[in-house]
Amino acid sequence: MNIAFTLPFAVIVIGAFLAVTRSNILHAVFGLAISLVGVAGAFLALGSPFTAVMEVLIYVGGIAVTMIFAVMLSSVSSPAERGGFLRKSLAALVAGLFLAGGSLIIVNADFGAGNHLSTDAWSIQAVGRDLLDRFNLAFESLSLVLLLAIVGAIVIVRREPVLPADQDDAPEEEAA
Amino acid sequence: MTLEAYLLLALLLFSMGLYAVLARHNLIAILIGVELMLNAANINFLAFNYFLHLDPAMAQIIVLFVIGLAAAEAAIALAIILKLYRKHQSIDVDAMRELRG
Repeated sequence: MNIAFTLPFAVIVIGAFLAVTRSNILHAVFGLAISLVGVAGAFLALGSPFTAVMEVLIYVGGIAVTMIFAVMLSSVSSPAERGGFLRKSLAALVAGLFLAGGSLIIVNADFGAGNHLSTDAWSIQAVGRDLLDRFNLAFESLSLVLLLAIVGAIVIVRREPVLPADQDDAPEEEAA
Repeated sequence: MTLEAYLLLALLLFSMGLYAVLARHNLIAILIGVELMLNAANINFLAFNYFLHLDPAMAQIIVLFVIGLAAAEAAIALAIILKLYRKHQSIDVDAMRELRG
């Protein structure tokens, strides 16, 4: 077996299993982080070190840490799982059917010739050139989307003023 | 390894994410499932591009866009979760019954 495939495979599956099954939500977030490190390893094995670095930076360094903050801020005193078994078994049935059907399709499909790319075609230079050339509009729109998401998140979690003491600045912030 | 191996890995990851979205009560756990599904799609993009000799940089750029959009989505979702927690003192999806859904 190829170690470049099996090692990320094992890390991804173990991490995702932890993320999906642990009832303690903090453990689930750590499982997600482990799984995402495995995904970065798979990206590396697929010849794309740049996206692997971005995966670790943004997902593990950004999203997982933000989730941990949200867990701490919402101090989960997890309620008793009501009707847990039926729900879990139904979900497992649906996911298992999806897995079985998908693997049947993948095994029977013909994807054509499988020749590798040369590694220099995957260079960071090509990505950077295309980001600022062919995909410039999408790139800039993505930055706009991120800015709007940050502003929107701040507006959503902003506490409503309890007393109508300072009416002068509240309507302006709503308009912004 | 072959393309099929990577596709099966991505399918397994996607199924686990689907299970989390369907089975979990906690909103943050559901968000974790969505992130797993997005990562499965990313693995598929890179695997197809690597093995089928397509455009040199296209898959990497798509993956970068997906990662960026996932970051924006996580920020918004976590803000909504915090707001719901303040309102209901709970982030159990079964407690969100105001719309009788």
